[in-house]
Amino acid sequence: MTASAVSSQPPRTGIRATAWSLPSRAVALFSGPAGFAVKIALLSIANAVGLWALVILAGRHQWTAVGIVVAVTAVIDALYLVPGRAVPAKFLIPGTFFLIAFQVIPVAYTIDVAFTNYSTGHILKKPAAIQQIKQVTLAETANGTSFTMAPAHDSSGNLVLLLVDDQNGKTYVGTSKSLTPVPKSTFKRSADGSITGATGYTVLTGAALITVSKDLSGLVIPSGGDNGIRAEGLDTAVELHPTLRYNAQRDVFVRISDGAVFHDNNRGSFVHGKEELLPGWKVYVGFHNFSRLIHSKLIRGPFIRVFIWTLAFATLTVFLSFALGLFLAITLNKQGLRLRWLYRSALILPYAVPGFLSLLVWRGLMNDDFGVINKLLGHIGVHVPWLFDANWAKVSVIVVSTWLTVPYFFLVSLGALQSIPSELIEAARVDGASPWASFRKVTLPLLLVAVAPLMIASFAFNFNNFGNIYLLTGGGPSVGDNTVAGATDILISYTYKIAFAAGLGQDYGLASAVGIIIFFIVAAISWVSFSRTKALENLA
Amino acid sequence: MSTVDETAGVAVPRTAARRGPRFPTLGENWWRHAIGIVAMVWALFPVAYVISAAFNADSTLNGAGIIPRSITLHNFKQLFASGAATKHFASAADYPYWYMNTLIVSAATAFFTVMLGALAAYAFSRFRFRGRRMGMLFLLLIQMFPQLLAVVAIYLIVFNVGGIFHVLGLNSITALIIVYLGGVMGVNTWLMKGFFDTIPKELDESARVDGATPAQVYWGVVLPLAAPVLAVIALLSFIGTINEFVIASVLLQSSKHQTLPVGLYNFISGQYAQWWGPFCAGVLLAALPVVVFMMSLQKFIVGGLTQGSVKG
Repeated sequence: MTASAVSSQPPRTGIRATAWSLPSRAVALFSGPAGFAVKIALLSIANAVGLWALVILAGRHQWTAVGIVVAVTAVIDALYLVPGRAVPAKFLIPGTFFLIAFQVIPVAYTIDVAFTNYSTGHILKKPAAIQQIKQVTLAETANGTSFTMAPAHDSSGNLVLLLVDDQNGKTYVGTSKSLTPVPKSTFKRSADGSITGATGYTVLTGAALITVSKDLSGLVIPSGGDNGIRAEGLDTAVELHPTLRYNAQRDVFVRISDGAVFHDNNRGSFVHGKEELLPGWKVYVGFHNFSRLIHSKLIRGPFIRVFIWTLAFATLTVFLSFALGLFLAITLNKQGLRLRWLYRSALILPYAVPGFLSLLVWRGLMNDDFGVINKLLGHIGVHVPWLFDANWAKVSVIVVSTWLTVPYFFLVSLGALQSIPSELIEAARVDGASPWASFRKVTLPLLLVAVAPLMIASFAFNFNNFGNIYLLTGGGPSVGDNTVAGATDILISYTYKIAFAAGLGQDYGLASAVGIIIFFIVAAISWVSFSRTKALENLA
Repeated sequence: MSTVDETAGVAVPRTAARRGPRFPTLGENWWRHAIGIVAMVWALFPVAYVISAAFNADSTLNGAGIIPRSITLHNFKQLFASGAATKHFASAADYPYWYMNTLIVSAATAFFTVMLGALAAYAFSRFRFRGRRMGMLFLLLIQMFPQLLAVVAIYLIVFNVGGIFHVLGLNSITALIIVYLGGVMGVNTWLMKGFFDTIPKELDESARVDGATPAQVYWGVVLPLAAPVLAVIALLSFIGTINEFVIASVLLQSSKHQTLPVGLYNFISGQYAQWWGPFCAGVLLAALPVVVFMMSLQKFIVGGLTQGSVKG
């Protein structure tokens, strides 16, 4: 393969010239105080970072994390300060550290999340969810207490409510934790009764009021029993009474009005028949996410459609690019062809431009009304909805992906063609093979030995080529069924949308399950490619 | 398959040409030139269009064409203008931030990729220790699960870590760099190990005889000899990082902290048609250094490509 020849070429000249003078120079340069100082400096940085983490973690009582940090730092110090032992580990630890932290742990966590119902409405732990349910099901009663209210900041900037009971005129300051009676003289009130100021508190007005309005609507002040006080608008508040009672012994909610019992359904929710209390909590659901992909009609349909398109997209991109790249390589790499260098450089250029830029530009070129392609086509009376029509969007995605990938296979084919000994082709010709036969029987098989592994790698890459889809079409156009999956979404962009698109809620559990399925597909492809590659090499 | 048929046919005329006139005339190769010109137009058309739009006085998508009506630097100025000039669309003014963030993230990732990867590759190449085979197979396996697939988990981890260590939370490019470093071991370690294997062991041994420690052999002998390959891997890693969209878009949410892909994507998603000129100017400025680098190092990169297929 030319590949190894090219990459091992640069240092070859270097070795000859400097080989035998290097060791002695190196020893002089890296021995003694200089090397030691570098080592100590790096270790000090590692220890400083560890110490910084410790202080913050201890301050937050994260004792497990404290233990891990101490252990990791101790291992690193011991490893590099004790001389002459576990030498390979000294070289492996730095990379392994990051590998574990940001590759192994995320993979493990992905697997963990895939078996949970982690999603919008199932974020909290159970006790927090119970607390939340109690708060959101509070309701105003006919003769409940009402208050004149003003939102304010206390001296440390926390949001509090200044409250005056409309019936008896008692004054309070309420926080999310408590309701504290204060002397009436604390509040300054205008003629119409509204609170304009308070000693020790800053009453919020204007823009400040608007910025806290979201916090304000979520603030419930406990006022004895299970009751709570909540702001209604910006200047009044009402005392709310629970509509549900939580029975800790039986672990159920009972509706006060009709006695309906909501019990834990082991799926992270309290339910009564089809009624479900929100929010739920995060819980392990076994293979539920995977079985949804097979059994839930709403999910299975889009999933299968996306899966088939992913295969089609990756296969077509690779084969079209390879065919075109090889064709151009054979056509334009003829000895003595004038301007060969120009064609070659021009064809490589798209490869040198960062892909995300090309994709965003293509999106503009293919714009429906203003894009230059449609404007040019307009001269002959043709208008193509490149990105708006489901089928045309698929064509567009493949055209652009091919544009991006052809240069790669052009380069690869150039290299591979040069590595095929010309004697073989001449021998075929001497034996009377037609040019087409000698290409098909000699050139192509030899070429494939070198290029097939790269085609498989390119397939695996395109299988997860998020950018080509998301930056060009955004996965769209929408196909209208009840799903986030658009017409050109591939599995990875579908996963991204399940997890992060706001439209139908965020389902981290399902997204992780799809991620794991993609892993198995790519791993299978890679596995096949490894064994196939070996077979091909043996053939050659 | 008629295309292949034609190309295979060249074998015969080639010898004929050698016997005939020394310089082949255009006549016999006219069809190759025709294909070459079509391919060139196809490859360069978007590039020419971007250059034209970047300098075009009419900065809307509708007004853009292959040949600009009048040339101006207005679009470039808009990218670097402070908020006032671009008040219609605030985040256009963040372009310099995106550019800087991208440079920092990509340079740091490329540097550490080579450093961490080479260290591990050296251990795998030169030492025989328990778990060596397992370690290499594990690297191969783990790289089939790209970070991309774990993006949900990475988001949740960074989100939660950010609650404790604010500098490592969402919107932190430090966090982004550290996350990228988790993905550097796989392919790169294999590539560099393969190259280290080609450096003669006698060099190490003679240095060891002279009293050098393994660390000294690594820094003083192996690394300098491997410098050209390390440079290529650093460059490919640099370009790969520039192109990374998914993790960056999930972790960097406020405009000033974003990288070029995320920033430019959001920039033109909003006011696509209207901001086409400044967008193309931004594309040009972002692409130029990379293109110059790639084109000048073509030869080395092709070698790296065919071995590791980092991009494509």
